[in-house]
Amino acid sequence: MAVTLTEKAARQVQKHLAARGKGVGIRVAVKPSGCSGLSYALEFVDELGAEDATFESFGVKVVVDPKSLIYLDGTELDFVREGLSEGFKFHNPNVKGQCGCGKSFAV
Amino acid sequence: MLLTIQEPTPAAQAVGIDLGTTHSLVAAVIGGKAAVLAGDHGVLLPSVVSYRPDRVEVGHDARRWQTEDPQNTIVSVKRYLGRALDDLPEEFRLPYRFAKREGMVRFETRAGSISPVEVSAEILKVLKARAAQALGNEPGGAVITVPAYFDDAQRQATKDAARLAGLNLLRLLNEPTAAAIAYGLDRETEGIYAVYDLGGGTFDFSILKLTDGVFEVLATSGDPMLGGDDFDQTVCRFLMAQNGIDSLEPVDYRRLLEATRLAKEQLSLDEQVSVEVELGRGKKLSFVLTRQTFEQLTANLVQRTFVSVRQALSLAGLAVKEIQEVVLVGGATRMPCIRRAVAEFFGKLPLTDLDPDQVVAIGAALQADLLVGNRARGDWLLLDVIPLSLGIETLGGVVEKIIPRNSTLPIARSQEFTTWKTGQTAMSFHVVQGERELARDCRSLARFELRGIPPMAAGVARVQVTFQVDADGLLSVSAREINSGVEASVSVIPSYGLSEEEIAQMLKDAFAHAQQDLEARRLSEQRAEAMRLLEAVEVALAEDRALLDEAQFNVITQALESLRTAMEGRDWQAIRNGIEALNQATVEFAAQRMDQSIRRALAGRTVESIAE
Amino acid sequence: MVTGERNYFEFFQLPPQFALDLNELDSRYRKIQAWVHPDKAARLSEIEKRLCLQWSTLASEAYRTLKRPLERARYLLKLYGVDPEEKGEVAREFLLEQIEQREAFEQALANRDLKALDRLADRLQAAMDDLVGALAFLLDVDRNYRQAAELVRRLAFLETLWDKGNCARTEWSE
Repeated sequence: MAVTLTEKAARQVQKHLAARGKGVGIRVAVKPSGCSGLSYALEFVDELGAEDATFESFGVKVVVDPKSLIYLDGTELDFVREGLSEGFKFHNPNVKGQCGCGKSFAV
Repeated sequence: MLLTIQEPTPAAQAVGIDLGTTHSLVAAVIGGKAAVLAGDHGVLLPSVVSYRPDRVEVGHDARRWQTEDPQNTIVSVKRYLGRALDDLPEEFRLPYRFAKREGMVRFETRAGSISPVEVSAEILKVLKARAAQALGNEPGGAVITVPAYFDDAQRQATKDAARLAGLNLLRLLNEPTAAAIAYGLDRETEGIYAVYDLGGGTFDFSILKLTDGVFEVLATSGDPMLGGDDFDQTVCRFLMAQNGIDSLEPVDYRRLLEATRLAKEQLSLDEQVSVEVELGRGKKLSFVLTRQTFEQLTANLVQRTFVSVRQALSLAGLAVKEIQEVVLVGGATRMPCIRRAVAEFFGKLPLTDLDPDQVVAIGAALQADLLVGNRARGDWLLLDVIPLSLGIETLGGVVEKIIPRNSTLPIARSQEFTTWKTGQTAMSFHVVQGERELARDCRSLARFELRGIPPMAAGVARVQVTFQVDADGLLSVSAREINSGVEASVSVIPSYGLSEEEIAQMLKDAFAHAQQDLEARRLSEQRAEAMRLLEAVEVALAEDRALLDEAQFNVITQALESLRTAMEGRDWQAIRNGIEALNQATVEFAAQRMDQSIRRALAGRTVESIAE
Repeated sequence: MVTGERNYFEFFQLPPQFALDLNELDSRYRKIQAWVHPDKAARLSEIEKRLCLQWSTLASEAYRTLKRPLERARYLLKLYGVDPEEKGEVAREFLLEQIEQREAFEQALANRDLKALDRLADRLQAAMDDLVGALAFLLDVDRNYRQAAELVRRLAFLETLWDKGNCARTEWSE
């Protein structure tokens, strides 16, 4: 399996990368944050780590560290507009329960 | 919630520092690997500080003064941290001049009266600079190791030294535990480890259980006044007696001591050494020392370590054969007699594959890296214990134990007291640490004075005093009158530590010639603190905004904005107030988040399993 | 909030009974500590740090209480509204047996007789195991809390003696 982008998401990433002027792709990760919860994180990638896995979607490199991959395998990232805000949304087949805000989850 | 793409977070860099009696080291995790950082003369920085007429020298530079100018050159300062003159055996008073005072000793030097805390801070500053050079940045935080057997006063003194040195102390870590982390992660084997740590000035013995990413200390014991130095002292006294010398000038004593130390190190390799020491006024002392003589002279010191070993085994309820691996830590464990004795006692060869001088700093660096959120080496949990019981002095000088030794940290215990006079609004407690029954036989830690108890009839007030020991092994005390719910204010009068005012004075002195420096430093400290807080709150809001109603959310965002505005200015007081306000505004929110996360911890997967 | 009284069994989401799966308790305790230990809070705000400290302290206290049979039994009795120390009566024959054991123990200490001490320790252990078995029945099945309270007092006697023996052994080895 893999972690993929929708075409819309990929176009957005490319736009951001171009505006930023540097970077080889986008990193998708799961981060445990102290006493709080698990959450998704999205970052630009300037350098690849030795253990990183990379996937290609519509010409965009998606980078995932091995620990996050356990939780993210099969995830598709979309770019959506909801009301006034717009941003990336995770469709993660591993997720069983999701909290109201959509950023924390239990696998 | 929808996400946006963030800038990559630069890996936070934190260091591990082994502030040793003889040597100090600094290590950091670089590119996923822990490494000891070298200075001009290698990785070991001699823990020697010399107060020269125009500057302070530390390490190798200072070492050359230890025989020339011993009274202004402090060696083995760790022995004096949190200690009073009465605590020091005769051999550790020479060659220094001490200020006549109660509480922690002070050295009389040409730079004035200096606290061991300030001397330690000088060493830390050099290590901090070394780290800054190696990392290309000031370290974001530090884990500093202490002997497991250090009491509260010694721990507090170490913490104060870090503050004076301008280090952001993430945690105090027990030395044997640090060594266990280094070995445990290195070998990836579970089981029961014993750590035998003989340093320059202290002996520590800990037993740990390693399972499933948890390092759990089962028992710890030790002798805070026994180390490699004692071997030198013993041999020194023997040599003096053999040569009919009653006493030596401080300078000569240092020379002889230094020669003995070198001889001891040589004897770990050779069967015999011959030594010639130049003493003052053209005197010369030459001697031949065999390993056999050395071992005979020091046999009882070696045996003394096993008193602590047996004690820890008994505390942990373990038999010798249940110990799976024994780890040797500390330069003094290079002595063949120690290795032999350990192997005999445990019936197995001790592990020595990591450098005994470096293993503690390595472990501290790994823990520091974990604390700042890097998980290159996976995730683990550390459960350490309090080495000595805490108690309060009651009528007749008898100690009532409040927190028994070997309890897992953090721990809190409450005790209820009442007033004995009508209208009484204050009371005080004397807190001691140790296992003896009488307060005078234990270490006095501090007197705590409670004020602001609401006046009531005698015996009606119910004052609940809570003794909290944190993960660093440091005590704090809070008190509340139960009927009225009024918090009493607690002021601490440390028996051997520095008061808050003394530290403030030292910080001020350090910047005495540059008031601006002090202001600049305070500003940058407060800004860094504000940054940390803003980030933490923003993450919290992003994750759990749903827990707040509109009004609560507005209060927090207002406090957030005020702090952001304050940060643009240069008024550190205003930033501090902003931090305080934001902290206050998020109390309830933080508590709700915590409740939620505990439920998740039991319901779903945990950090532990993510790390796998 | 953390400070209020919390039922330790609920805290670990375990059934409130004496016969407890200690492995499960261990694993839940660790799971909670893995989240709330102060080491996990190094990068959090001061408030969250303090909360983590409080939670972690509570977790340790709850774990310590439930882990040891004597403390667990005492705690359960308190939950059932029985104070095990109140009306501290203990069966006469048990007391007499105790006096005998204590004397044998003092004698072993006086003679520094390690073998005799070991024999006594074995007997003590067996007696404590019996009591723990009986407590499980009285507390979880029979729900006879008065009698359970009496056994708790017996167990406390035996544990004191046991601790004494351990202390003596350590002192000897020194």
